[in-house]
Amino acid sequence: MTIRELYDRMGGSYEHACKVMKMDKLIDRYVRRFKDSQVGEKLAAAGKTMDGTALFEAAHSMKGVCLNLGLDELGRRAEEITEEFRLGRERRMTDEEVREKLAGIDALYRHTVEEIDRYASGG
Amino acid sequence: MTGGEEGFCMIEAKQLKRQHLVLIVDDFEINRDILGMILEERYEILYAENGVDAMAKIGAYRDRLSIILLDLIMPEMDGYEVLSRVRSDELLRRIPVIVLTAEKDAELRALQMGAADFITKPFDVHEVILARVDRIIELSEGRQLISAAEYDKLTTLYDRNFFFEYANGIFRDHPDWRMDAIVINIEKFHSVNALHGYEFGDKVLKALGEEIRVFLRQTEGIASRSEADHFDIYCRQQDDYSVLISRLQTKMNETFPKASIRLRMGVKQWVEGAEPILQFDQARAACNMVRGEFFAHLMVYDEEMRKREMLEQRLQNDLRAAVDNRDLVVFYQPKYNIQLDPPRLSSAEALIRWNHPELGMISPGVFIPLFEGNGQISILDNYVWAEAAGQIAAWRDKFGVTLPVSVNLSRVDVYDPALEDTLQGLIESNGLEPRDLKLEVTESAYTDNGDKMIEVMDRLRGRGFQIEMDDFGSGYSSLNMLSSLPIDVLKMDMRFVRNIEHSEKDFRLVKMVLDIARCLNVPVIAEGVETHSQMSMLRKEKCDLVQGYYFSRPLPPEEFEQFIRREIEVFGGIEG
Repeated sequence: MTIRELYDRMGGSYEHACKVMKMDKLIDRYVRRFKDSQVGEKLAAAGKTMDGTALFEAAHSMKGVCLNLGLDELGRRAEEITEEFRLGRERRMTDEEVREKLAGIDALYRHTVEEIDRYASGG
Repeated sequence: MTGGEEGFCMIEAKQLKRQHLVLIVDDFEINRDILGMILEERYEILYAENGVDAMAKIGAYRDRLSIILLDLIMPEMDGYEVLSRVRSDELLRRIPVIVLTAEKDAELRALQMGAADFITKPFDVHEVILARVDRIIELSEGRQLISAAEYDKLTTLYDRNFFFEYANGIFRDHPDWRMDAIVINIEKFHSVNALHGYEFGDKVLKALGEEIRVFLRQTEGIASRSEADHFDIYCRQQDDYSVLISRLQTKMNETFPKASIRLRMGVKQWVEGAEPILQFDQARAACNMVRGEFFAHLMVYDEEMRKREMLEQRLQNDLRAAVDNRDLVVFYQPKYNIQLDPPRLSSAEALIRWNHPELGMISPGVFIPLFEGNGQISILDNYVWAEAAGQIAAWRDKFGVTLPVSVNLSRVDVYDPALEDTLQGLIESNGLEPRDLKLEVTESAYTDNGDKMIEVMDRLRGRGFQIEMDDFGSGYSSLNMLSSLPIDVLKMDMRFVRNIEHSEKDFRLVKMVLDIARCLNVPVIAEGVETHSQMSMLRKEKCDLVQGYYFSRPLPPEEFEQFIRREIEVFGGIEG
């Protein structure tokens, strides 16, 4: 699998990743470390408590990391949660809707990690 | 031609600069690394993974950090808190902060809190990131340069140039404000440094600067440390400046009870149209006049001082012409050996007078201290040596006797490498012996620059010159030091003699000086002898020689000749 194919499979944007990291070698290096950032696990943990601040911080972190790595779809979904729980802003979703969104993010995150693992193992 | 061709290589300023240190603060390693990767070619990078870690690193590298790139949302301590702490800390606020964010609200809030700029995530346009970091560092360093130049680092008062810029601005924009110029410095500050060390000296300057700042919180004005221990204040007119000097002096005494810190202050009060630079020159002149005055700390510049300054300036300018036109005249005052009966003419002292073509006769009390202060005294000394040596030879040729003459040798003369050759040349060209031209050196010259003075006097004595210690008793020689000084004669300061007829205490002091001289086995000349009774008392106490109005005031050479003639007529020659 090429790095470009990996991005297609993850629903990411290879072009965006290229803008940030310039070289395939660097994209390769950092995308392999995505799992270590634990952004997905942290967001899932925050979702269990439904604590607004924790959700905002975890989603914000996921959004930052994903934007830099060109994981656009995951980044876009994390941004929705970030905006939902931004301090001083009125909530637009019910908790149930948030849980659904978080479940979607979790599934996409797992999928992304699996694809990266497959890529890393030469699959 | 380049420096290299000359055999050396010019170090360019940019080579001397250390690489800028950038702190990247983000809780996600990937973000930190990506940003680090963008910046690493141009900067040295330091990383922190949260606010607490960031504050520790900022504290540890505060003098080296050029910029902080700060994520806002982090665990432990968020970026806003870090930003707020950096901006409110005197020592840290010089470090610019760029926030890393993707949100407009956050950008605005961070900028309002003092962030210098922001970088948005993702970090996709490297050129923009690099340009922003470059620009902010450059701006910040420029600001720091201006700030460093504007303030004196030690006291944080204004630097001299900025101070005068602002003072001129006040003068220009508010000509009716009655602004006075004050100059303050510390008496013998170099001795404070020498005795207690430079670190202590700096503490003194800092404390004085702080107290001046306290004063300026109560009155409108500005202040600067212009150099070393010199402070300038430009402030609204005060009713009584003794209040200020006493307040500053008290602060010094309380803060440094074990050191003797003595302040002096000169003031030039506002007059319409007087520019600050002129006001401060005059305040400085007033301050300099406090020098050496034990009881006075404060001098306010007045009309009398202005006249004195003008005269001094005139005399400094006219000295060369006076030498060339022979307006300087050497007078001679006889010294008599009073242990012989009747007393016999023994020698003379050469004393200079200035007959100014426009100002008339000027007292040596006016111009000698002036020229001693600015080093021009050596011009006078050289003139007197040559005149005196020529006069000894002229009298020898005229009367067939040699009358030794003493001349003054100032402390600045000992640093003239040609001194010995000059004196030797005068002796030889006039066919004299070195003992015919006696050299008078004041006691204080020995105490101020002892080693150098002793070294030069030893060499002159080695050539046969005799050294007379002038004004003995006015300086602070220890008896121990006195015994090791190369001197042939002690000249007792005239203040000892002045009251011996009326003060038992003064008379006892005179006897003590004579005892000391006997111990040292050197003859004593008493100066300032004006009455017969003074002369008799000194004779009775075995004082060897006297000089003073009792025998004669200083006279021009042609009038002085009467004393030589009389010696020859009565005794057949000069004694000794």
